[in-house]
Amino acid sequence: MTQTVQPAAKAAPASQKTMTLAAALTDAMDLALARDPNVILYGEDVGVMGGVFRITTGLQAKYGKERVFDSPLTESGIVGSAVGMAALGFRPVVELQFGGFLYPGFDQMASHVSRYRYRSRGRWSTPLVIRFPYGGGVNLLEQHHDSPEAYLAHTPGIKVVIPSSPKDAKGLLLASIEDPDPVVFFENIKLYRSVKEEVPQGYYTVPLGQGRRVHEGKDVTVIAWGAMVQTCLQAAVAAEEAGIGVDLIDPRTLVPLDLELILESVAKTGRVVIVHEAVRTAGFGAEISALIAEHAIYHLEAPVLRVTHPDTMHSPFNAINHYSRPEPAYVADAIRQVLEA
Amino acid sequence: MLTPFQILAADGSVTQPDLLPPLDQVESIYRKMVRLRHFDDRLMVLYKQSKMGTYPQFGGQEASQLGATLALSQGDYLAPMYRNTGAALAFGWSPKQAILYWRGHPAGWKIPDELNMLPIIIDIASQFPHAAGAATALKLRGLPQVVLSFIGEGGTSQGDFHVGVNWASAMRAPAVFVIENNGYAISVPRALQSGADYLFKRAEGYGIPGHLVDGNDVFAVHHIAKEAVERARRGEGPSLIEHLTYRLRPHTTGDDPKAYRSDAETQEWAEHRDPLLRVRLLLTAQGHWDDQHEAELRKEAEEEFNAALAEADATPAPDPHALLEYAMASPTPALRAQGKILEQRIRLLEAQA
Repeated sequence: MTQTVQPAAKAAPASQKTMTLAAALTDAMDLALARDPNVILYGEDVGVMGGVFRITTGLQAKYGKERVFDSPLTESGIVGSAVGMAALGFRPVVELQFGGFLYPGFDQMASHVSRYRYRSRGRWSTPLVIRFPYGGGVNLLEQHHDSPEAYLAHTPGIKVVIPSSPKDAKGLLLASIEDPDPVVFFENIKLYRSVKEEVPQGYYTVPLGQGRRVHEGKDVTVIAWGAMVQTCLQAAVAAEEAGIGVDLIDPRTLVPLDLELILESVAKTGRVVIVHEAVRTAGFGAEISALIAEHAIYHLEAPVLRVTHPDTMHSPFNAINHYSRPEPAYVADAIRQVLEA
Repeated sequence: MLTPFQILAADGSVTQPDLLPPLDQVESIYRKMVRLRHFDDRLMVLYKQSKMGTYPQFGGQEASQLGATLALSQGDYLAPMYRNTGAALAFGWSPKQAILYWRGHPAGWKIPDELNMLPIIIDIASQFPHAAGAATALKLRGLPQVVLSFIGEGGTSQGDFHVGVNWASAMRAPAVFVIENNGYAISVPRALQSGADYLFKRAEGYGIPGHLVDGNDVFAVHHIAKEAVERARRGEGPSLIEHLTYRLRPHTTGDDPKAYRSDAETQEWAEHRDPLLRVRLLLTAQGHWDDQHEAELRKEAEEEFNAALAEADATPAPDPHALLEYAMASPTPALRAQGKILEQRIRLLEAQA
């Protein structure tokens, strides 16, 4: 399934190129390596092989083994060593093989990556990027489908970036590598090669903390990130045919969050559906819902609804996972519910 | 039973005379050890007077921390854990800052720009991957510095012990890893951490040199650490050193060791194997030291501590705004909004006062 994320995309000018999200990420890292000698890439299989999803393909050959290298197989070591590397002036961009494998490295993220500047009162900081593939909808093994953004958004001192399109992916990754704070960068597995769009050539950044209105409408606000933007876009296009205007907001970064864009949309529509493939309880949708309650409750015409994965592990039961992971039909149904409320 | 590397025996006799430094250096090291002991004990006194936060004492491990840290050169890096106040002071952290740090004052948490000390790590073993990463950075940059990091014997049971040492080994990074085996992880004895007889033997599994050292012999500690530091500086990779030592003091100011070890055991170490005692015995036997020297040194240490304490006491109380500083490079919108909540709380408590 190949889709164009932005329906209004025009024919590509010479300075643009049609790219998958995967290719856009490779392009971003290529540019970052060329631009800043402090940028180094490492992780499991990222060197010779180019990573299990081939996102770092060709970069070791181009920049050498001192800047793009394979590391021992240890998430705690990849993240923990990056703390020391970043403290000493490198800009490590490290890859964890899957989001579901982040937990051995999570101790280092929550206890150290996020705290080094605070703890040393500015003497040391950890400008680094931790990239990993995540998300369901692909037939992989257990622990390969997790969507662990809430843990990270709940960790002070870390920025959380989740692109949904090739163009955003490139600009957000370059912004993340430039950023003085540590960034956790989510790459949706299903989106790697299923979406293509025109991506500007050369170096550009998409600022962290600015959301994007993916689809404009006046009746319902739908908020989604990562692969769920595609899911919601399908629902939005279908709704439009039925005469319902969906304002689809992709925050692009959960930390910092573009609350302004969300509130502006809610003020317009008064009806909200939040969609994520992470589990429901204490998911980031709960935070957004609470923020809307704090700042815009008098604009609401209906209860805020969430379409999420149930509170169960992301299962290896691939034939039935589409009952867990939000589908366009479930989003469409939630849109109908908030409109009827 | 293996014999740990030793230069100066517990009774003050010299087992390897060739390796003993000249007497003036012996004296200088002794002076440093006495200052460290004084600092450590005074923090406990301050705690009892409610003038200190929870503080993990290092008393009894002066030789282990001082001897290893003195093997470093200007510009090298120290990656300490919570029991390493002694190492940090030896590395150049000021007593005033250390007092403020353990009081939980943000001014104490600010690591001075000129000091290549990574933050003190409270959770167990996480500093080893940081040290390994810092050492890898030095290697990639082609710099001559090395990283020294400490861990307790309990810390060797953590995954990050393995992660850090193995990483440095794989990268041949310039790191020196010291296990301060003081016999207890709070209350849990060494034997419960591992079925292995000695922890330094793990070095073989990592393909790096391992050393077993009398951790209460400051000269032995220094000699081996120097060897490891120089090896790392030559680009030959990390080493793993086990110091056999003993924590004469409680785990922290809040701990009562009577619950898990006998007074007789502690007394035996204090009376016969104290790392300061053997150096004093040596200096005395050489006619280089007497009770008057000792009294003068202790007075000096006390006066220095009092001066540092006075400075720490004179430091203004922390500003609540410090709570939100340094969390992010610049505040996110959410943090800015929370800054307003902080202002409100400040006003509420002011109104209450």
